[in-house]
Amino acid sequence: MFEVMMYDGGVYRSEELYELIEDVGGVVLQKNRSSQMLTVIMSVPEEDREAIEKVCNDIGGVVKSVPLAGTEIAVVGPTLGRHHMPHPICDIAEELRRYGAVTVVMGMARGRGKATSQISMTERLTLDEYDGVIFMMGNFKSCVETKAELMRDIHAPTVLVSGPVPEGIEGTCDAIVTGVGRKAARMRTPPERAKLEEIADTMEAVLKEKKRSLEEDPLFVHPAEVKTVLEEYEPINMCLRPSPMVLHLDGIRIKIPYRDHREYLENVEIYGRKLGEIADISPSKIDDSSILIRIKTRSQVEDEDRRRASA
Amino acid sequence: MDIEIIGDDTYGNEAYVKLFDDIMSDLNKAVLIDRVQLTLEPATPLFIFSIVLRAAPSAKTIGDVSTVRTDVGGVHITITQERYAPDILKELWARYGRKAVYQQTRFDLDVTGAKEEDVNPIVVASGEDDRREIMGAIWRTMPEGIKNRKTLISDNVITVIATEEVLLPEMIERGRQVHKAMGGSDDV
Repeated sequence: MFEVMMYDGGVYRSEELYELIEDVGGVVLQKNRSSQMLTVIMSVPEEDREAIEKVCNDIGGVVKSVPLAGTEIAVVGPTLGRHHMPHPICDIAEELRRYGAVTVVMGMARGRGKATSQISMTERLTLDEYDGVIFMMGNFKSCVETKAELMRDIHAPTVLVSGPVPEGIEGTCDAIVTGVGRKAARMRTPPERAKLEEIADTMEAVLKEKKRSLEEDPLFVHPAEVKTVLEEYEPINMCLRPSPMVLHLDGIRIKIPYRDHREYLENVEIYGRKLGEIADISPSKIDDSSILIRIKTRSQVEDEDRRRASA
Repeated sequence: MDIEIIGDDTYGNEAYVKLFDDIMSDLNKAVLIDRVQLTLEPATPLFIFSIVLRAAPSAKTIGDVSTVRTDVGGVHITITQERYAPDILKELWARYGRKAVYQQTRFDLDVTGAKEEDVNPIVVASGEDDRREIMGAIWRTMPEGIKNRKTLISDNVITVIATEEVLLPEMIERGRQVHKAMGGSDDV
């Protein structure tokens, strides 16, 4: 099993680290250099963790655990109104970023009210694009139990965060964290920080299940390898949007317009195969300015190859 | 500020005491409030928020929020409550013109050609503004989806009755009873 970790240290002798990552068959997910300081988020085989740690220490850096690195998580509130923002939604998003995830904060168009709250199909499909979704609800038990229905048809792993312990909402979400309802102040006391950690740990546990199922039928290529190939593509390289390429567990989000770049992306070669053959490339549901690449599994590619050969 | 909660949602009741307190303190309204009674019935849904202010909001004059003294050729004003500074300037500019108002610092103004007895009674904020601000603060504490509201105001008691869809006559009647119990008048 691959493990994601972060090197935090200087650039001095960092080539040794890159060489070792390559030797053990790992990949660099993200690299940030600021002056002489360097952070590298990498995915390496579990059994080689010790060797990587040793090199990191030898070259004067430290290894930190970032269990949610390589994931994009949406934190969703009933609306983006001042009743629900910025606390605690932004506090949760901040904590997830500490765990290495890329986060997006969203509010539903008609998510307020107990009897009148709704989620549209577009909102559901948009949330399905993410590796995980955290739904933030309020302080009243009856409201949380009614609104839990909003999560029912979302296919991405979903964690519900609410104040009271809801009952009778089985099948609507993958996990529940209680004790965090509507707040008007930042979560900074020790019990509140512990709650934030609990939320991030719960998300990690939920995603572990998804990772395990991906290991049973592995992807044709690791998303990080696709990222490495596409990094040199000029429109991505020159893209000024924050994180122009965001890794997902089963693919990658690229923040360039679909219409203009679809053809190039479909024909990019990775391990002798066209990207269009080994991945589904589609426009994001948010708008046309992002592209979603979902990499097919090995068995899926083999199956399609067989069908093509017999046709 | 004493907060009394009536409702059967254990978690919600406890959370709302803190939420109400935090929001009112954030908006600097907690000092104006003496007593609060919150009726929380999310299952219905019906929310009745009734507050008793320490004093009925009244109009504020320049004399109330600053010190005015006669100076050579006019008056000198030292603003003591900063939040009224923009309103003081606005009123002085309107009455004496921009050229006559010289702002030495954020809190010190010279007004050429003005008299102390004319400047002191100029109204810079009506009691209505205060009431509106307090009502805005109450609405902020209520759940966002509770959009249908009726507000009862008499002297220093403000009661807001709110629900999500249809505000029924019996809900309004309950609100009136709470309003009366908190010291408000019967004829609102």
